[in-house]
Amino acid sequence: MLQYLIQRITKIQVILFCLLFNYFLKAEVDYLGDFSFEGRYFLEDGFFFQENFHSSFTFSPEIYFESEDSKQSFTFKPKLRNDSQDEERDLIDIQELHWVLTGNAVETRIGIRKEFWGVTETFHRVDIINQTDSVESFDGEDKLGQPMINISIETPSGSIDFFALLGSRERTFAGRFGRLRTPIVVDTDHPIYESGAENKRMDFAIRWVKFFDNLEIGLSHFSGTTREPEFIEDLSALTPRLIPKYNIIDQTGLEALYILGGLAIKLEAITRSGQKDRFSAITSGFEYTQIGIFESRLDLGWIIEFNHDDRVENSSTALGTRLTFNNMADTQILAGILWNDNTNEKSTFLEASGRIGDCCKLSLEGIVFSKGNKKSNILDIQKYKSPFEYLENEDFVRLEFIYYL
Amino acid sequence: MFNLLKRFFLFILILTFNSFLVGDQNNRGLEILKKTDENMSGYGDSQSRLVMQLINAKGEVTERSMRSRLLEVEDDGDKSLFVFESPRAIKGTALLSYAHKVEPDDQWLYIPAIKRVKRIISKNKSGPFLGSEFSVEDLSFQEIEKFSYKYLRDEQYNNQNCFVIERTPLDPYSGYTKQLVWVDKSNYLIQKIELFDRKAFHLKSQFFRGYKIYLNSFWRPGEIEMINHQNGKSTILRIEEQSFQNGLTDNDFTQNSLKRSK
Repeated sequence: MLQYLIQRITKIQVILFCLLFNYFLKAEVDYLGDFSFEGRYFLEDGFFFQENFHSSFTFSPEIYFESEDSKQSFTFKPKLRNDSQDEERDLIDIQELHWVLTGNAVETRIGIRKEFWGVTETFHRVDIINQTDSVESFDGEDKLGQPMINISIETPSGSIDFFALLGSRERTFAGRFGRLRTPIVVDTDHPIYESGAENKRMDFAIRWVKFFDNLEIGLSHFSGTTREPEFIEDLSALTPRLIPKYNIIDQTGLEALYILGGLAIKLEAITRSGQKDRFSAITSGFEYTQIGIFESRLDLGWIIEFNHDDRVENSSTALGTRLTFNNMADTQILAGILWNDNTNEKSTFLEASGRIGDCCKLSLEGIVFSKGNKKSNILDIQKYKSPFEYLENEDFVRLEFIYYL
Repeated sequence: MFNLLKRFFLFILILTFNSFLVGDQNNRGLEILKKTDENMSGYGDSQSRLVMQLINAKGEVTERSMRSRLLEVEDDGDKSLFVFESPRAIKGTALLSYAHKVEPDDQWLYIPAIKRVKRIISKNKSGPFLGSEFSVEDLSFQEIEKFSYKYLRDEQYNNQNCFVIERTPLDPYSGYTKQLVWVDKSNYLIQKIELFDRKAFHLKSQFFRGYKIYLNSFWRPGEIEMINHQNGKSTILRIEEQSFQNGLTDNDFTQNSLKRSK
């Protein structure tokens, strides 16, 4: 019923709902959000004659209000994105539209939300509630809103979250004219679902988290439509295409963080069934920060993470460093490298960001991909043999300006 | 020979007396700071609105505003939640801390853009807090058990008769080797702290102003200023509004409460 309702909600109804809610709660409304402009310049021509300069703007306003006793709150945050080249990068999404009721030890959250799970920095194995908006950024940390009913209970033996997920979202993929695309374009208009209910299947998840002094531990299970589709090659059509296939999976996840002096030791591991053979994937590593380097107020943080995925032949390693200036503009520089020990495939990135005045933020990012020494089938992306293969010509710099409303 | 023995006894006598005296001075320092601690406690819980003014060496000012919630915890350090309201780019960013008497504090940071709660390594507390001259350590609860004490002298400060006490952080990860604390004799409130960095250099001075007594039982300053002598910058933390005994519980200081802070 609720599932049906949420899918039926139109934008006008959303606004009416907000006004009505506001009237009932007699609350003061907070208007927030941001407006951003982004330009990406690709250093080399695309394999498929795509343009080198791509620009986009994103508008993401937010309405928030809470009841006088702060026990109830309401959030509405849509996101609109328009890209100059790739229509697959255009987006109208409701990132958040939810109501939260806070009880003594129980919190009920109903509506479209975002929920993050995990402890590691480079790969997020355990995080599964929201679908990835993979065309937004290369790090995969941008997500699409997920309709749900979530009940969170604090108990002396940790906090437990129950999720009923009302339907699922499709992953975004770059289109024909987009960069960072797969050699064969993903046909996002005709996905295949294992479930007869297609993307309207109700999925379930549960997560338990507990912290003991220096140790934080989390266990989770997800049963439902995968967020990470496999692809079926359709070469019969006039233009060949990759059809995303969303199976029903069961995924159990473990996350742990242990603090040893100044060192954080992290682990995320999953085991998943439902897509071909059952497989496991692990990301584990360390984080360490040097405070006040060179007798200055600058901090230098180090991250090293090791990755293993049964679906990939070789493991990859990520090394990252973050320089924090601790100044008024919150300037920071992040640099990192991800490489595969055997094939020598690499991606190197540098990102610098800082605030301009109180209203704005500027960030500059650059990524360089190198293919390494492995010459495998360029079309074979679904075997995860060589994720960088098709990115060889896609080195880019990206400048983003954000204005906060 | 006799002379030598006499000297030896004298030496022992001085040594005992000296250690007795030092012990007494340590105790006196501890007793004074215990009294200041008692003057600040018994609040139950508090909610406040704070404004932080960052002043650079040229005198230019930028402001940050935040809300805070504190909960007094019996037999352990207090719990606190700081939520940033401005600048808008960091609005909703929140810091949750469980202070402990001797053990390192537990701290989590909430990053609203990616809805992520991140554990902070509490060793990293000597660095600047969000570009201000306060470090996380300066803003943490100064539990009595975290220092050793030595009474130094009496001194006039700001027309008040004060005790001057030296306290040494016991935590090896502290950013300070010692702190000199001025406590006034009439109300037993901390008026000023001089902070000495790891090379025993006088790095910063902290001033407490506008003390008021609330609910007839505990005191709070209205303003805290931190001056950095090394870079000429300073930060003023002003308490705009505060209320006590609001009936907050442990449930207002969980990771869930961190996520819902706006």
